[in-house]
Amino acid sequence: MSEGAPPAPILDVRGLKVSIAGPPGLQIVRGVDLTVRPGEVHALMGPNGSGKSTLANAIAGSPAYVVDEGCVYFQGEDITQLSPDERARRGLFLSFQYPTAIPGVTMVNLLRASLKARRGTEPPAREFLTELRETLAALKMDESFARRYVNEGFSGGEKKRAEILQLGMLKPTVAVLDETDSGLDVDALRTVAEGVNALRTPDVGILIITHYERILNYVTPDFVHVLVDGRIVRSGDAALAKRIEAQGYDPILREVNQEAATVAVAAGGDK
Amino acid sequence: MAKGELQGISGQATLAADPYGERDVVHAARGDSEPPWLIDRRAEGARAFAATAMPTPALRPWRYTDVSSLAIEDHALHPPALRVEADLPPGAYAGTIAEALDSRAEVVRSHLGSLVASTEGRFVAANAARWNAGVLVHLPRGSAVERPIVVEVTAADVPAGAPSALLPRILVVAEERSEATIVVRLRSGDGPLLVPAVAEISCADHALVRLLLDGGWGAQTREFTTLRARLGRSATLEVATLAIGGRLVKQTLESLLEGEGAHSEFRGVALGDGDQHFDFVTLQDHLGPRTTSNVEIKAALAGSSRSVYYGITRVEETAAGAAAEQENRNLLLSRHAKADSDPVLEILTSEVIRCGHGATVGPVDQEALFYLQSRGLDERTALQFLVAGFFDPVARRIPLEGLGDELAAAVHAKLASADLS
Repeated sequence: MSEGAPPAPILDVRGLKVSIAGPPGLQIVRGVDLTVRPGEVHALMGPNGSGKSTLANAIAGSPAYVVDEGCVYFQGEDITQLSPDERARRGLFLSFQYPTAIPGVTMVNLLRASLKARRGTEPPAREFLTELRETLAALKMDESFARRYVNEGFSGGEKKRAEILQLGMLKPTVAVLDETDSGLDVDALRTVAEGVNALRTPDVGILIITHYERILNYVTPDFVHVLVDGRIVRSGDAALAKRIEAQGYDPILREVNQEAATVAVAAGGDK
Repeated sequence: MAKGELQGISGQATLAADPYGERDVVHAARGDSEPPWLIDRRAEGARAFAATAMPTPALRPWRYTDVSSLAIEDHALHPPALRVEADLPPGAYAGTIAEALDSRAEVVRSHLGSLVASTEGRFVAANAARWNAGVLVHLPRGSAVERPIVVEVTAADVPAGAPSALLPRILVVAEERSEATIVVRLRSGDGPLLVPAVAEISCADHALVRLLLDGGWGAQTREFTTLRARLGRSATLEVATLAIGGRLVKQTLESLLEGEGAHSEFRGVALGDGDQHFDFVTLQDHLGPRTTSNVEIKAALAGSSRSVYYGITRVEETAAGAAAEQENRNLLLSRHAKADSDPVLEILTSEVIRCGHGATVGPVDQEALFYLQSRGLDERTALQFLVAGFFDPVARRIPLEGLGDELAAAVHAKLASADLS
């Protein structure tokens, strides 16, 4: 990296508050700031229920959530009000924690349609098939996989690989990976991590959302954030992930509670 | 007859415009030099037509399809174009019934009207009297037709101002251990067209018949089809119906599973927009032991289109060891689309292997929609994929090359402009 001003963020989350759509409108993400610049890999960690998946889905524009406050900027553009497909066509990709089955739609047809949507033109047939074969091989997936209905009857590991297959074919500018490592055995984890590393170039930003640090043994993050109760309470480098690996979330949770108590006392003292 | 006499009193012009009256029917059949027995059958159809009232919503299969304002007699006969393409083994026949009257009169005579009687209802009676697109497929014992037999019935140039009628009559006689796939492509122009159709399928022991009804109708066509099949021992019938065009499509599909181990499948897809109306009625009558049946009807509805399904799986006392599955699924693609579904089981024996039925009506899976959108597909494109995907398993069950792609293309084309609001 050259000296001077850092490159402009490609993903910038500003003061984001997100609730579940529909009553009772429970707020899950309660003020998150997160800046991802080109070439960076960020890991967002946190205990269950801390709001990691909600944040990922809100960034992708899921209609299951509503943004109460704050903005999501993609390459400087406010995309908070854009539809999920408009975001995707700009180069945002979400790898789902629980990829849903799309009965009757084959993986190869989905990939072709996605690429067409992204580029505005039909991908050349020969080039597309060559790339598909190479990506499948890199992920140690059989070619028959592409002819199956998307995620239908896939095992947990196959679903995650299928997400990485799409990631590899679509080559997004920003990839948000929502617990892509969960439910994988060591070999599958390594394969998936290789797929992520292959995407790691100076132009691409990656946000890895994970409960455990396992995947971070294969994909070294530049930044690690800890999300608790819908807020980022700690940010650091890879050492933070190592600390969580060694101690779990409890010490951090205790510190956070203590700080909150101190703030409360200080606030009381001001009166 | 009373009606005909009244019209006779009221004047010559009215009399001439009664194409389903016995006098006109007999006159036309003689003009076509049809054999006396056939002229008698047509006359019988005309008498049944005169004696039968239009069905009313009080009859269960007609509850959601009100035809009380429809006057069949106002629809003048429209001469269709009929084309049959087949690569047949010696002895087999696929062509018009008219031509078959010379070469295999006995086959026609013994099967025409043997499964669907002219007295069953007004549409059927009209067909018995005036069918004008007759197709016979005759498969002698042991003959297997490898390539699909393609039948095209086309009513082009239907006049815009004058209601017309096209009356297809399909007769399939599959003798023991014969086998064929028959594709019936039905096409019409934009003018108002009424299509009372009848299909009779006889599957002898171990015969296998696959029939695809591809209804590529114009916007003002109303189809009323009665299809009935009788199956012998270990015979198999697979019927698939594609309803994409037309203003109203009502199909009654029935199988009489008489022989031990007989099997029937009725599969259908309907894609509606505007005020299109689809109505499917199915009956699988399990008479023989160990008979099996499957029904799978799927509708995707945009605009204020509507689908109705009423199906009965009946397992008679004599059908020990029977198994049946019956499924109707409806996707609502707009707020004003509507579907009514009523699958019924009537089981009269305690020795049933399994008997299932299910019905669903609802919008597309929102998670699936978000998934596709997150991959860059706009909402309409995503819906095109979801609907094509919804139909794809049905298309895959029909062993006809290119059908899946053809159906997907039709879905994409129709939904490109459909009302999805």
